[in-house]
Amino acid sequence: MQSDTVDTSCHAAIAEAVRTEARRILSDGTVTAVIGYAASRRKGSTQPIVITSVDDADKLIFSAACVNNLAVYLTKAKKDVPRSGRIGVVVKSCDLKALVGLMGEAQLKREDLYLIGIPCTGVLGSVLQPAALLTTASIASKCCECTDRLPPGCDFVPSVQLPQQPRLEQRYTDEIARLEAMSPAERWEYWKEQFSKCIKCYACRQVCPFCFCEQCLCDRNRPQMVEQTPRPAGNTAWHLVRAMHLAGRCAGCAECERVCPMDIPLNLLNRKMARELKELFNSEAGFEVRDKGPLNSYQDDDDQSFIR
Amino acid sequence: MQKQITEANFRLLLDSLLFKGQRVVGPRRSGGTVLYEPLASASDLVTDELPRRSVKEAFFPVCEDLLEYRKEGQQVALSDVTAERFPETVLIGVRPCDAAAVPVLDAVFSWDYKDQFFLERRARTTIIGLACTSSDDACFCSAVGLSPADPKGADLMLTPLVGGGFLVESQSEKGEAFLETWRDRFAEPDGTQTQALATPATQPFDLKRIKAWLDDHFEDAAWDSIATRCVGCGACAFVCPACHCFDIVDEGSEKGGKRRKFWDACGFWKFTHHASGHNPRDLQPKRYRNRIMHKFKYYDDKFGQTLCTGCGRCIRVCPVGIDIAGVLEEIQEKG
Amino acid sequence: MCDHNKNIYLPYLATVEEVIDETPDVRTLRLVFQDEQVREGFNFRAGQFAEYSAFGAGESTFCIASSPTRKGYIECCFRAVGRVTESLRRLEVGDTMGVRGPYGNSFPIEQFFGKNLLFVTGGIALPPLRTLIWNCLDWRDKFGDITIVYGARTEADLVYKRELKEWEARSDVKLVKTVDPGGNGPEWDGKVGFVPTVLDELAPTAENTIALVCGPPIMIKFTLPVLEKLGFGDEEIYTTLENRMKCGLGKCGRCNVGNIYVCKDGPVFTAKQVKAMPLEY
Repeated sequence: MQSDTVDTSCHAAIAEAVRTEARRILSDGTVTAVIGYAASRRKGSTQPIVITSVDDADKLIFSAACVNNLAVYLTKAKKDVPRSGRIGVVVKSCDLKALVGLMGEAQLKREDLYLIGIPCTGVLGSVLQPAALLTTASIASKCCECTDRLPPGCDFVPSVQLPQQPRLEQRYTDEIARLEAMSPAERWEYWKEQFSKCIKCYACRQVCPFCFCEQCLCDRNRPQMVEQTPRPAGNTAWHLVRAMHLAGRCAGCAECERVCPMDIPLNLLNRKMARELKELFNSEAGFEVRDKGPLNSYQDDDDQSFIR
Repeated sequence: MQKQITEANFRLLLDSLLFKGQRVVGPRRSGGTVLYEPLASASDLVTDELPRRSVKEAFFPVCEDLLEYRKEGQQVALSDVTAERFPETVLIGVRPCDAAAVPVLDAVFSWDYKDQFFLERRARTTIIGLACTSSDDACFCSAVGLSPADPKGADLMLTPLVGGGFLVESQSEKGEAFLETWRDRFAEPDGTQTQALATPATQPFDLKRIKAWLDDHFEDAAWDSIATRCVGCGACAFVCPACHCFDIVDEGSEKGGKRRKFWDACGFWKFTHHASGHNPRDLQPKRYRNRIMHKFKYYDDKFGQTLCTGCGRCIRVCPVGIDIAGVLEEIQEKG
Repeated sequence: MCDHNKNIYLPYLATVEEVIDETPDVRTLRLVFQDEQVREGFNFRAGQFAEYSAFGAGESTFCIASSPTRKGYIECCFRAVGRVTESLRRLEVGDTMGVRGPYGNSFPIEQFFGKNLLFVTGGIALPPLRTLIWNCLDWRDKFGDITIVYGARTEADLVYKRELKEWEARSDVKLVKTVDPGGNGPEWDGKVGFVPTVLDELAPTAENTIALVCGPPIMIKFTLPVLEKLGFGDEEIYTTLENRMKCGLGKCGRCNVGNIYVCKDGPVFTAKQVKAMPLEY
């Protein structure tokens, strides 16, 4: 299929506005630090950065290679990131949904954050080659089905005109439909093959904002619930445990899928679970803080037919 | 010894090896990802892409059994592994950054106690290297003392020729023996030019200067600024051709099961965590520091070289864009 | 078929011959190798460690707690704090476990001949020194005075209670035992106070004396200045380090303190060596 270029001409203006705002909120004491993106050594590459001085605001950038969900740096899994006072954080809509989820789980308070929202034209699906042009082929699958290009409820959003998005394939929808059309045996084969590739590097867990458990079930050995070695049994158990643990929580940032060095389509599992949650409980990740997620709240009229 | 082989004869050679029942492992596309895997036919071989994981797994697999135990009452019976575990193998299409890591690993697995799991495979493997004619800006072999045609670690070295085929140079007795066994497929070099080699852009590092800084800066604020962003996964270590840390666990029931050795990484929180709860590397910057120290100081202190071949894989896969070449540049400037 | 010469990860099988509860959570296992050749041929030096297997749970690292002078068996002593140690704790007399080793360096005992020995230790850290204490007591005429300062949080936490009595009864050993303030019962006949304080009061001579120190990090931290004050040089103080280990063979890469691999370069170090190390233990 021929791929069309995605218009990213607004990125320069966005980056400039982010720098200006970061300078302002750091200098007037609104925040003690800003978590954003900076350029890295390779052409086009970026990396997360925590800046605490006005002078460093110049380092902030935005481009289609700014793929990270920076919410991960605000979770207790990343206790090395020094935190005191209010923190500014650069967020795309999908990242914001994760922050909202974390607020609902009492991990973060809205008033401790200063949200710098990004009007988003989509980011790269992979940064193995970070200088790649953003096209309808290279764009992340999550962006293809994104309906929230402007993050709502932020403290600051650069005012830029978002360009018209080219027509994008509904990749997850199509792929889920393809898998659902399979027989259970075929589907099992598909996932068995995918999980067999896992090398247990836990990049998926480590970038996930919702994987903030102080000690992951998979790191515990008393009892050993999940085999530790990268073999079929332990791999399958790990990915199923993770999918279940994220059901009703995952905000769809797809970082797990992006960072998997073995190219396992992990977000497909999460999207499928999200669809189930939508159908069963009319619940989906959004921009409103909810006290309780669908799987940790109880209602008298909940369906109990699964109890036999 | 120098020979030449045409593209057609090279494919025939591969198919003859496979037909003979020889195990041949090389870069192969599996799903969407290129990995070093057993080839089923010559057409499986991918020669234009660096495999996502390094060649180390040919000798040091992601996971392998060390022994099997069975309990009978109060007795335990152990079974050892058998030699069939270590088949004769031809490893083909190995990039210089991968091949050069093999002797680096030899040092670890053969000093003092000899790890047969690594060394038996090593002894039964012939490594056929392939010079690189392209690179990307994550590649930095030439910055750590290697080059896109470096034959280090290879038994035979292939360099692509203009118009197809390869110049073949033996680098060891194993290589000579291979050329001898398959002499019908090779021809004498006819002076055809080799293709232009890749030119990684990175300037050579002054590894001595970097090491000198590391010698004196175990404690330094730079570790925080470099590594606070590190999220503590094992992706960099697992794709690295030289990282070799592992864990050992028992899996199975009380009645019987297996003891297994599998890849581990110093970036993991659990790596140095004592059962008592104490952890000498309790924060991520300390763990990242160990990674850099091990590669550019500790290994050098012990074996006189660097535990990095500049393949750039860790740079490509790092979830948060940590660029080891950039880190080295930063350290070099300080040194 | 098992070939220990080839598979360096293969443990020897050993039978649990005796189980001794030292404290409510510290246990000694006396082990006898099942293979006669191994039983005869297993030689080690005081200070060396081994990897002990509870099959199904894995391996755990501790020193060999018995003396190399006592032949026919070895002993290990551990606190049940993790998966493997809890599994080892479930073993009964007659059960089979695995032992790999001996690994690491040892105390240079020959260099101590003709000298006084001062052992300073606390809690569960007595076992790594106990091997050396018995080794020296079995070669008693080769050493000068032998003094042991041993402390624990409470009376119940003292390990090797039978042996403490034995050492106390001997005229050629001076044992000073202590418990932390509040850790003493009505019958307690030892000192009350922290090990460094008790050592300070005792003020043993540093002259022609080697100090052997093993204990929790906090005890070591406060004991070293006391020894320094008493006149001990950094090369006259020995200790053992422990870091998490898996292989014990210098391969798996986790026990390093800077460029020092505890499994190969240690576990026995002088205070001088420890002071030169980065804080990574």
